Amino acid sequence: MLGEFEYILVTVAAGLGENAYGAVIREEIEKNMCRKCSIGALYTTIERLETKGLLKTRMGEATAQRGGRAKRMVRVTAKGEQAAREFYEAMMRVSRNASWAVKEPEGTS
Amino acid sequence: MNWIVEMAASFLRPDEGEAVLGDLAESGEGPWKALCAVAGLVTRQQLEPWRSWRPWVASSVALPASLLLLGVSFGLSVDSVNLLHDGPVRGTVVCEALLMLAWAWMGGFMVGSLSRRTRWISAVLCAVPCLSCVLRFHDSSLSRFCVLLFLVPGVVGSVQGMRHVRLNFTMAVVLATAVSGLMLAWSGMYAWYWPLLLPAWFLVATANRSRGLVA
Repeated sequence: MLGEFEYILVTVAAGLGENAYGAVIREEIEKNMCRKCSIGALYTTIERLETKGLLKTRMGEATAQRGGRAKRMVRVTAKGEQAAREFYEAMMRVSRNASWAVKEPEGTS
Repeated sequence: MNWIVEMAASFLRPDEGEAVLGDLAESGEGPWKALCAVAGLVTRQQLEPWRSWRPWVASSVALPASLLLLGVSFGLSVDSVNLLHDGPVRGTVVCEALLMLAWAWMGGFMVGSLSRRTRWISAVLCAVPCLSCVLRFHDSSLSRFCVLLFLVPGVVGSVQGMRHVRLNFTMAVVLATAVSGLMLAWSGMYAWYWPLLLPAWFLVATANRSRGLVA
């Protein structure tokens, strides 16, 4: 099963779709999780997830904003989506009786 | 300051260094923060392989095996010289030489296959006792480099281990059985050499597993 940070990274990358690359993923994580995300943690996790076949990376285009340096584009594989789904469902199951878990009103589908 | 950051990034893969430096430029990080970020990534990448048991086992084998093989190499050199002066029987020396070759090659293969990304640590753990032994060696009848006889088969084995990772099952069984038989037959065998047999059976165990996966 994925670790917490691995799940966050896969989910953010999936949400960004075609525009997922290091700097943007990092910015999204910091914005949504309200915590610092180091380049080291980000790239080490991307490397690990790619080795596991959960992500694929390729070099993208370079921009002037980046000092003419290329982006490392990230794409979530089908295996990665499956692993993230399993993590999410496990969290939902384990949280269902917790007081802070939001229960859907009865009658809604 | 930027050249220091670029120099630190040279420890990364070229494409990764490019992406990281680009991300840092895009985020508008200052030079000091950029240096810390790159240094942090390099450190993490070096430590990442150590999350696995493999480099730990490789390191645990590299150091003691080197120490034992230094002794074996020295013993073989002494016996080879004594052979000229009615020393040990020729067959015993041949047996000793074959064992040294096999132990060194199989130990090297095991270490190489387990520690591809941490090979420099394994190399240092092997080199330190060798260097120490060569520097302290005092025997006028022998070259001080005679204790390093095992290095050639050991290095060849480690390079092959890094390339192939696993041995063919039949070959591994034949090698392990032959070495075990030679160890039983060799009259100069000491109890403390038995740990040198572990790599042989480790190679059998890993070869066996890969065959099972194919089946």
